[in-house]
Amino acid sequence: MPRLSRIIVLAAAVAVALSGCATISAVSTPSPSTSTAAAEKFDNCGTRVDFSDAAPKRVITIKSTSTEMLLALGLGDRIVGTAFQDGPVPATWKTEAAKLSVLSVQVPSQEVVLNSEPDLIYAGWESNFSADGAGTRSDLQGLGIATYVSPAACREVGYQPARLGFSDIFREIGQVASIFHVSDTKLLAQQKSDLAAIPRDKRGLTALWFSSGSSTPYVGAGIGAPQLVMDTVGLKNIASGVKETWTSFNWETVVNDNPDVIVLVDATWNTAAKKMAVLESNPATANLDAVKNHRYLIVPFAASEAGVRTVSAASDLATQLARLDLK
Amino acid sequence: MQARRAGRVATAGVVLALVLVLSITFAITIGPSNVTPVEVWGSVLHHLGVGDGQLSLLRDGIVWQLRLPRVLTAAAVGAGLAISGAVMQALTRNPLADPYLLGLSSGASLGAVAVLLLGIAVLLPVAAFLGAMLALGLTLLLASSLGRITPSRTVLAGIAVSALASAVTSLVIFWTVTGDSYREILGWLLGSLSGARWPEVAIAFAAIVIAGLPIMLSGRILDAFAFGDTSAAALGINVNSTRWILLAATALLTGAMVSVSGSIGFVGLILPHAVRLLVGPRHRALLPLSAIVGAIFLIWADTAARSVFEPRELPVGIVTAIIGAPIFAILLTRRRSEV
Amino acid sequence: MSGGLDASRIDVRIDGRLIVDGVDCTVAPGTFSAMIGPNGAGKSTLLRILAAVERPEAGTVEFAGDKLFELPRRQRARIVSFVEQDSSTELSLTVRDVVALGRTPHHGLFSDAGADDDAIVARVIEAAGVASLADRDVTTLSGGERQRVMLAKALAQETQLLLLDEPSNHLDIAAQLSVLGLLERLALSGVTVLAALHDINLATAYCDHVIVLRNGRVFAAGPTSEVLTPELLSEVYGVQATVLAHPQTGRPLVAFSPSV
Repeated sequence: MPRLSRIIVLAAAVAVALSGCATISAVSTPSPSTSTAAAEKFDNCGTRVDFSDAAPKRVITIKSTSTEMLLALGLGDRIVGTAFQDGPVPATWKTEAAKLSVLSVQVPSQEVVLNSEPDLIYAGWESNFSADGAGTRSDLQGLGIATYVSPAACREVGYQPARLGFSDIFREIGQVASIFHVSDTKLLAQQKSDLAAIPRDKRGLTALWFSSGSSTPYVGAGIGAPQLVMDTVGLKNIASGVKETWTSFNWETVVNDNPDVIVLVDATWNTAAKKMAVLESNPATANLDAVKNHRYLIVPFAASEAGVRTVSAASDLATQLARLDLK
Repeated sequence: MQARRAGRVATAGVVLALVLVLSITFAITIGPSNVTPVEVWGSVLHHLGVGDGQLSLLRDGIVWQLRLPRVLTAAAVGAGLAISGAVMQALTRNPLADPYLLGLSSGASLGAVAVLLLGIAVLLPVAAFLGAMLALGLTLLLASSLGRITPSRTVLAGIAVSALASAVTSLVIFWTVTGDSYREILGWLLGSLSGARWPEVAIAFAAIVIAGLPIMLSGRILDAFAFGDTSAAALGINVNSTRWILLAATALLTGAMVSVSGSIGFVGLILPHAVRLLVGPRHRALLPLSAIVGAIFLIWADTAARSVFEPRELPVGIVTAIIGAPIFAILLTRRRSEV
Repeated sequence: MSGGLDASRIDVRIDGRLIVDGVDCTVAPGTFSAMIGPNGAGKSTLLRILAAVERPEAGTVEFAGDKLFELPRRQRARIVSFVEQDSSTELSLTVRDVVALGRTPHHGLFSDAGADDDAIVARVIEAAGVASLADRDVTTLSGGERQRVMLAKALAQETQLLLLDEPSNHLDIAAQLSVLGLLERLALSGVTVLAALHDINLATAYCDHVIVLRNGRVFAAGPTSEVLTPELLSEVYGVQATVLAHPQTGRPLVAFSPSV
């Protein structure tokens, strides 16, 4: 009898090992493709992913951009848990979002993630997939869980967009739609028409995108979502020379360049009001034209990273900009 | 022989003081904006009552509200940390001692991180100072619980308290950090002068005057400690009270500096050694010269921190570490000249 | 005994243990006396009390009518100097710097070393036999060389009372005789000298008076030739001793053999 049970255990172990291998091989070796299947296999920030099997049904979204992407595509019912959200969703999705289960306020741990038995984890930052976060991508894929990072957030050379454009965002919409086997036509049409409707300010104004910091400001730099938004509304970013998405900056340059307007990112942990106080209490920046005349544009934090809200963020800023009276 | 050496020290002192003045004068002309040196000096002179400045209010603010306070704070903090380091090395008879040995830096970090995360950054200097003093008190309490307070016990207690404070700080950061607030905390923990305005200048210089000057004048007494407590007592020094007074003054000085600039490392540890290689270990010369060299060093380290990668700024603590180590290596290979 | 060292009822307790127990001792002015006793007898502890660098739990120490513990520290340091058994530093001071430290009690906080000080330092460096080492880094010296430098430092204090803890234990024979000869001459010039000595024969050769310490108490004290009997040596040191006369100096010479 002991000998038989040992054989059974051994056989079970072999079966598990083989099934694990099967999963890995499914991910890494391309299977013969139909036209839709081809679009579902691609290189996502350096990890090859394959969604040619059935569309994911149990998704965990990390960061607001991921959650909102799914909500925009009508895929809210696939979300089994959200984590590390950056702020409230726009009003249109308020009721739907209220029903979503919040797994964690910060980056979730791997155990929390696994507990929800997802088949896809959709992260807004690459760093969300770390050993002390949701788990490394290879670990998760080894457990049969697919992973996807918003391409705009990739940081490696060759993956980070040289300069973020709406084509990158629209491409992500297309990718996500194909992963879930849904249509992106409506959403893309909406985004493109909204984008086309945004009036571009012709006054040639300069701007600072003030994200956080007090003694050293952290600002939107030249190649990320802030730059894209400012280009769209017609603002010239004083930090555009720095080839980063965001960068730590210095007040001296800000004072020297005296931007016409200042965009303030509004987050619950660092409000626009707090940033105004920082600008006003600093004796050097207190004399900036934008500070003295309150030429501020406000953008919610959740809308300040590349995603489905980028177009509306730009639209909203354009409206605020048009209302600003520049003496 | 003694006279020749005294002459050498005096010459070094004069030369270094001159270099300090020149450093301040030129460091304020360096920065990412396009204000010219002439405009900079014109602005400073204008504020001192000489001549009309040529700059607009805004650009004048670059010089008078950003650069000058920052350079002056760098000078004071550099001087204070160097003096504190030298004294700590003498008091603990340990060449690896630095000003942060007694839990001062970890305590200050905890206080600072707490207010940064609570969003009341305006209380930063106060919280950092209180944190430093609290940690010091804890260190001394722990040291005294081991028996009679001796230098080695105090050092060990300081290590324990530092570890505790650092652990709590890490926990607090990990638990509560949201969004990118870690960025500001990291800048503080690494040591940064980017927030130095006139209030910080006042704090730093007040600390130099109240605590730094008395320390500098105690050089001869520190020399008497060279062979230990018994020897110092035999020379007529009140060992206990001297040690306590010096410790308190050093803690005050360090606490004030850390509250203004975060824990800038390396200055207090290495600069006294560098100055010793120049003028020998006698504290009568070592303390004042360490102050001057510390000031010069930090002025330029901070200038590099804010201009090498402009418009981005590095926390100066990174620069002090990167610059300091090779300089120390070079100084070590120089043959020490005969007295 | 006026003019000399007079200690009475000294008690010293360390970590609860009584190291020095009710010690009375006197040293006549201008004499060179020895303090001897087995290891752990409390010699170092007692010397530190007599030098007033540490306070006893009980007892008083007087010298030339001054109560040493009641004097201001700097003043006291101009009256009594002390040479520790082992003394070292990590600082790279020159020998001259170290000896100059001995002038500290003569300076205020702000007053500076004058030409007088340089002359005194030079003189004591010569007297202690370390003139050839004057500009050397003290951390590079051997134990014996350092010991003589520390002696020079104490001499630079120019005190009337000099206490030494085993001043010769790192020195070779010639150096030992040289140092002790120096202490003898000092005593002749009026300085009161008390040294803890390890080597009994050095004590007998140079000191007319001896204090014998055992288990923290004065076992015996008085003129050397009277106190150091074979019976005392047997009881204090646990060895058999024969006291002879030195063939050249006539002073007591002790020969030891293990007790049967």
